[in-house]
Amino acid sequence: MTRSAWWRRFLVRGVFWRQLLRFAILNVPPWIEPIVMAFWAAFFLLWGPGRRGVMRNLKVIKPGSTSIANFFRCYRVFWNYAWTIADNVRFKELHTIPDWEFIGWNQFQAMQASNGAILLTAHMGSYDLGAHLFSETSTRRIVMVRAPEEDPQTRAFEEHHGAEGLRIEFNTRATELALDLLETVREGAIVAIQGDRVVGAISTLPATFFGRPANVPAGPFALAMTARVPIYPVFVVRAGRRRYRLVTSRPIEITRSRNRDDDFARAVAQWMTELEAVVRGYWYQWFTFEPAWPEVSA
Amino acid sequence: MARGFGVNVVADHPEARWLPSRHRFALAKLIAFAKLRGAPPSVNGAEHLIFPIDRDQTAAEMNGVALWIFVTAVCYIAAALPLIWPAAVIVAIPIAAIVLQFPTVIIGPIVRMLIGDGNHIKIISVIAMSLLVIASSYVAASNSWARYAAWFFFAVLVVNGAAAVIVWSLRGPIRAAEERCAQ
Repeated sequence: MTRSAWWRRFLVRGVFWRQLLRFAILNVPPWIEPIVMAFWAAFFLLWGPGRRGVMRNLKVIKPGSTSIANFFRCYRVFWNYAWTIADNVRFKELHTIPDWEFIGWNQFQAMQASNGAILLTAHMGSYDLGAHLFSETSTRRIVMVRAPEEDPQTRAFEEHHGAEGLRIEFNTRATELALDLLETVREGAIVAIQGDRVVGAISTLPATFFGRPANVPAGPFALAMTARVPIYPVFVVRAGRRRYRLVTSRPIEITRSRNRDDDFARAVAQWMTELEAVVRGYWYQWFTFEPAWPEVSA
Repeated sequence: MARGFGVNVVADHPEARWLPSRHRFALAKLIAFAKLRGAPPSVNGAEHLIFPIDRDQTAAEMNGVALWIFVTAVCYIAAALPLIWPAAVIVAIPIAAIVLQFPTVIIGPIVRMLIGDGNHIKIISVIAMSLLVIASSYVAASNSWARYAAWFFFAVLVVNGAAAVIVWSLRGPIRAAEERCAQ
């Protein structure tokens, strides 16, 4: 191993932190856990780019807010993130599940009963935990699509410690993956995709988010249109210690007309309405550490 | 009570959050039992609920114990610092947050080396509590102002011990109340 590779494991997305988190889950008594969480959430405030990214986003979500207030809000985001990733690892390692509350249960059941659907969600609460819950309770197969870990060692660690019964696809091989997912949805499975931010070189659709221009991944909308299946906005929100709320909204139906751009625009607008309402209400759980609106200064 | 996810769960009974089995310490179990007996079948905003039966599930209990342990540790450390007490308390806060992680960071790898990788929460929990009892015994016998925190620590242990006796004697009614709730 080269000297630079040795150091990479300690970078913020490096494998060391994943190993440390797993170690903590297997060793920290639950009655010390809140203290450990509070400490590490404060420690990760030293991560400048992540902290600045969250603060910039908060400036748009909460117009007129001060930097000092957003610094403390940023701590709340990191605190929730720490609990969320800990709950996810706890599920994988110890099979400990949190309390679940379902809002929009009828929509959720309709999604499970549908013959193929897209589950569109955001980087909030625990996406992974929600997908695991779904894979355990549903007779439908679920396929998660996500951006791969940047660090190769972290990627290998996550693959080794992944939960059973859940297929994860990475959004790096665009054309090949699109065909795979199309076939999967047509077979009646549910494809879960995060649709709140664009990572890497993927095709996008224009949108308006909190009154500002933004881009969203085009993949879920194109897939829904091609496979003729509905899109269900689903958000997994952390409601407290080991307590999550699964919110399912009205499905987005993409009707085909002669003007494809208009069809997409309508669907994207409905998605952005749902996303904006959830992010406004649960800003402390929107785990987007990169600036969503790069033109906004810190 | 149903079985899902490989663990016991109760579905669609909001009062199930007060099941004594979802609490770890005897005092919390006793309070939960009293709440469960007095709880009307309540309704909340959720349309479907899942409550796993896990001893470490409740927020109030675990956060309360964590806060108590943290305040106790801050008092012990502040009393040992050569500073006036307000400054000592401020300095002791971050130190306590680090010191309380020592049992995990130091003993965890040793336990792992001895018995292999896996869930070591129980053993580390016992060791950490034993260390707190040793530290509290030392502080309780001293002339420091922190001895009141140590006395309170032991008072809580005694009350929890008494609660454990009551919980044991009420084990029949507790089981019956849990089964009623889970039906």
